[in-house]
Amino acid sequence: MNENNNVIVTESVVKVYEDSEIPVKAVNGVDMTIERGEFTALVGPSGSGKTTLLNVISGLDHPSEGRVWLGGKPLSDMSGRELSDFRRDKIGFIFQAFNLIPVLTAEENAEYIMLLQGVPKEERHLRVMEILREVGLEGFADRLPPKLSGGQQQRVAVARAMVAHPAIILADEPTANLDSETSGELLDMMHALNRETGMTFVFSTHDQIVIDRASRVITLKDGRIFDDEIKQ
Amino acid sequence: MILYIRLAWRNILRNKKRTIIAGVAIGMGLASLIFYDSIVIGMKESMVRTATSSFIGQAQIHGEGFRETHEVELTVVDLGGVIDGLDKSGIVKNYSPRVMSFGMISSAGNSSQIAVYGVDPEKEKHLSKIDEAIFTGDYFSGESKRDVVLGSKLAEQLEVGLEDRIVITLAQAETGDLSQDMFRVSGIYKFGDRNLDGGMAFIRLHMAQEMLNIPGEVHEIAIEFTDIKYAENDTLDFWSHFSEYGNDAVSWTTLFPQLKGAFDMSETAKGIIGFILFAVVALGIINTMLMSIHERIFEFGVLKAIGTAPGRIFILIIFEAVLLSLVSIVIGSIIALALGIILGHTGIDYRGMEFLGTTVQELMYPVLTVDQFIVYPIWVLILTTFVGLYPAAHAARINPSDAMRKSL
Repeated sequence: MNENNNVIVTESVVKVYEDSEIPVKAVNGVDMTIERGEFTALVGPSGSGKTTLLNVISGLDHPSEGRVWLGGKPLSDMSGRELSDFRRDKIGFIFQAFNLIPVLTAEENAEYIMLLQGVPKEERHLRVMEILREVGLEGFADRLPPKLSGGQQQRVAVARAMVAHPAIILADEPTANLDSETSGELLDMMHALNRETGMTFVFSTHDQIVIDRASRVITLKDGRIFDDEIKQ
Repeated sequence: MILYIRLAWRNILRNKKRTIIAGVAIGMGLASLIFYDSIVIGMKESMVRTATSSFIGQAQIHGEGFRETHEVELTVVDLGGVIDGLDKSGIVKNYSPRVMSFGMISSAGNSSQIAVYGVDPEKEKHLSKIDEAIFTGDYFSGESKRDVVLGSKLAEQLEVGLEDRIVITLAQAETGDLSQDMFRVSGIYKFGDRNLDGGMAFIRLHMAQEMLNIPGEVHEIAIEFTDIKYAENDTLDFWSHFSEYGNDAVSWTTLFPQLKGAFDMSETAKGIIGFILFAVVALGIINTMLMSIHERIFEFGVLKAIGTAPGRIFILIIFEAVLLSLVSIVIGSIIALALGIILGHTGIDYRGMEFLGTTVQELMYPVLTVDQFIVYPIWVLILTTFVGLYPAAHAARINPSDAMRKSL
């Protein structure tokens, strides 16, 4: 394995939630390496630790034990501000519930991260219009999320995640609220992007549509890696 | 920044009902404060007008020591020079020279100790309202030098009416010899004020000067300025100028300290009321904002997850607080303006009410000023921004994964 190609590395990562009276070990010792350009699905039943693992590897949560490297940088060495900037610049998120800002239009939602990055207005507009075209939302730029269907909202979320050209896209159950046809279209689009640009995709899912398209399937059970299949 | 202002504006419009309710609540707090201030100013102006225009005037000049002792010998020094100075001052609208002495008034039925004032009827009627308060008889319209004008309560006590005879006894200057003279009641007035109606009698100036043996002298010059605000201006040269050479020039604030004291108290009360109102407003703002943040906790989690720095979340919430404040200020200003215009037209009727020795004789009108619509809104803006700090810090500290987890 070429270490320079490793975008995500976890070493004995454990995450315990102590919110309730009984502590819950959501992730229980995960060693994982994901290389650049992978299209990987994390699968497993509910409670297997998929979302928690995604949160930990993105820096949204700190591991209780173990370490995480993203793009060769250890997350534990980053300050809160550095983590925030790293997520802004290097990671694109696609959430299960779309999570668009409801008072911003499709264009404004898609360009939001570029705004944070300080991309000039004209360039933002051009890139957003292009990405909205790519995700099939040309003509919907000035619509507010409540005026978009679930599939359309998820496309905007995908556009938002991708338009800033992150190194990694982390998608947590991105097809959970979509019908199969829309899910298939979306996945095909992301798969095409993965092949064209080498952007790394990691999905947390139990949707077969995603699993079928993944080049690697890591199965989690009780917070551990149960199986790790690389498809040919 | 423009994005966050835009976002903040759209966020507060998300739940229009809540924003309007919060805006009205905060706005009513502001309106209450503006309106209370306008009422206090109106009441103050009305009471000062009533107190000063009834009889005492907006200022008075006496010989030094007269106010404290009422000694007949303590007349105004260099009366001619003082009168000349008043005529040339440019800020004096009217003045009335008076002689004043405590003495005895007797009728066939009764007697009473009173303050006897000798006045120049023509000058006096331009300064005080004795002439307007007369309800029977007239105000020195005849030629007789022995006319006397009494208050209604005094007339009642003495059991006298028009044309009845009374005797006034005074102690002369220097010698203290008693001087008595008979007068006929030519007019009876009523102010509705105990002191004015029951403790004073008015005769012609020269009669009083004769009886007291102070020819050409006066004890008091009552003054009305072209603008009543001169009377409240301690720094005016007027006071020092007319207090020279043994005289003592004072404004109504010294002559009527209880009224000034009451106004000072009302300023303190305004401060306390303002504090309470602002505290209520602050709690309203914090409540509204925390509720709004709680509803959007997932959204804040997402914003932070995709790379929004905590500082930007903080600024977003502060902008929301400021915009809510601006909406409230507009609502509150409209309410205050409406109330001020309506009551400025109809007035508030407290006529007949006695307050600190003054009987309210006219309708009170709220007085709206530009300052009220600048200073108080600025305070609301500052307060709102300040109380927005806590919800803003709360939102900025949200842990994205906790926020997204707890909301699901």
